[in-house]
This record gives sequence, C-alpha cells and structure tokens, in this order.
Amino acid sequence: MPKLRHIAIAAEDPEAMAEFYKKAFDFKEVGRPNGYLADGVFLSDGTLNMAILKFKTDQLGKGMDFRGIHHFGVLVEDVDEFSKKLESLGASHYIDQGQDGHQAGYFEKKFFGPEGVLFDIAEHGWAGAEPLPVPTKAAAE
Amino acid sequence: MAKLRHIAIACKDPDAMAEFYCKAFDFEIVRTSDGPLAYGHHVSDGTIDLAILRFKTDQIGKGMDYTGLHHFGILVEDVDKAAKKVEALGGTHYMDQSDAERVGGFEVKLYGPEGVLFDVAEHPWTGTEPLPARVKEAAE
Repeated sequence: MPKLRHIAIAAEDPEAMAEFYKKAFDFKEVGRPNGYLADGVFLSDGTLNMAILKFKTDQLGKGMDFRGIHHFGVLVEDVDEFSKKLESLGASHYIDQGQDGHQAGYFEKKFFGPEGVLFDIAEHGWAGAEPLPVPTKAAAE
Repeated sequence: MAKLRHIAIACKDPDAMAEFYCKAFDFEIVRTSDGPLAYGHHVSDGTIDLAILRFKTDQIGKGMDYTGLHHFGILVEDVDKAAKKVEALGGTHYMDQSDAERVGGFEVKLYGPEGVLFDVAEHPWTGTEPLPARVKEAAE
C-alpha cells in the first residue's frame, strides 16, 4: 500500500519554524532544500519528511502570502503507474521534478486532486522518510 | 520521539474526496465522524490518519470557504507535558477535546509559529501506528 511520507508547510521564516519543531518534538533536521520552487528546511520524525518551505511560486493559487499546510506527499511503488491511475480518477497533473528526470529525496510528480488539493507522489522517497514496507512474502524469501 | 500521525484536509465534499484517496492509494476509511467541529472521514494508510473534513468553524482564520490542507497532528508520550513545552516555546493553546473520554482524535489544539494549527494527542488517532516505544511494550 502507498504511504503518506511528506507534509509541506508554507512559511515566511522556515529557519525559525524548523527550530520550533525541533525543540518542541525532537524532530531532526535532514536537509536544506534550495531550488527553483522553494527554500527551507527538511525535518524528520523518523517516518515522515516535514518540509518547512518558503515557496517561490504560487502553486496553490492562494497567493504568495499563503501560510499554513501546503501539500502532502505519498510514496508509491511506481510513479508512472500511479500517475495514470490518478489521472483516470480525475486528478490533474501539475509538474514533474526538474528537467533532468527525477531527483531522489524530493517529489517526482505533483497532482491536483479533488477540490484542487495539491499532493506529490514519489517512488524514491523524501529525505529522512521511511521506505515502503517490504511485502511480507518478499521479506520471508 | 514524537510522531506525525495525522493530516487534515478541509473540503466541501468529504464523501467524494475520501473515495478518491481510497481508490487512488488503497487507503481505508477507518472512522466517519460528525461532531461539533466537522463532518468527514478518516482514511488511513496503516500509519497516518488522513482526515477529510468539512469544518463547521473557522479554526485557522482563512474563512469558511477555505479548502486545502488544514492542520496536522503529532502523537506524543504525554499530552500535558507536550502542550506546556509548546507554550514555553511561544505556541498558543487553542482548545482541548471537550469529551475527555474520547480517544482516537485530537486532545489539544495549538497554534505554532506563523499561526500554523496542529494537534497533539497521546492516544493514537484511529487506524494509526502507536509510538515505537509502545510497540515494544505491547510485545512484552
């Protein structure tokens, strides 16, 4: 089964917000993304990647001043297969990661689901996030 | 370590949205609720609760028409200690669960930096994994 492995927050000051969650809940810093879409801090609780980001574009259509939970991400076995499935269910493809194919540790494709809710899918996993569980049968072999 | 175990989405049509995520990712509806704060479905991937809710109050000050990601929730060992720590760090207490007997949802809601709303609870959200230490205890 796919797994929720990423949550992104739109912040004005990612550094200060990351410090808060590190101190409050002992989340660990696992990266400092700096790309064309956003800058910020990646935290991890050992299972999920929590990205605290200052976005550079208005991905949600809610304006550049939007602050709050921005999107989430789902780790899947096969991005291409799930992309087809999502589109067949009515989701809209938004963007792919970079121009040079996927970049492990980040989203691979972004989609808008029902009511314009943005989410990512990836098959390589976000920094600091747990991989997909090994199927019981495969683990037993 | 505390664990992120809950993500809530504000929407107009929780039935349709929950069906989408169940079909898309094989998530399962583990609870349907209609309380004073919201109506909606809780879907689970086995670890995290994804709450798909039509809110009845404006908890995040973005208006009743707001749709999108709303708040998240963190499972902690001790909710009182966690709430005090958050407040000592500058967070603001928003509300407590009014039904003290009810478990499987939020226990305390707080605002963190930049007004971001999050829940803390010491009983796992329905359909979610407990804290790792409790898995060990359960096996003993």
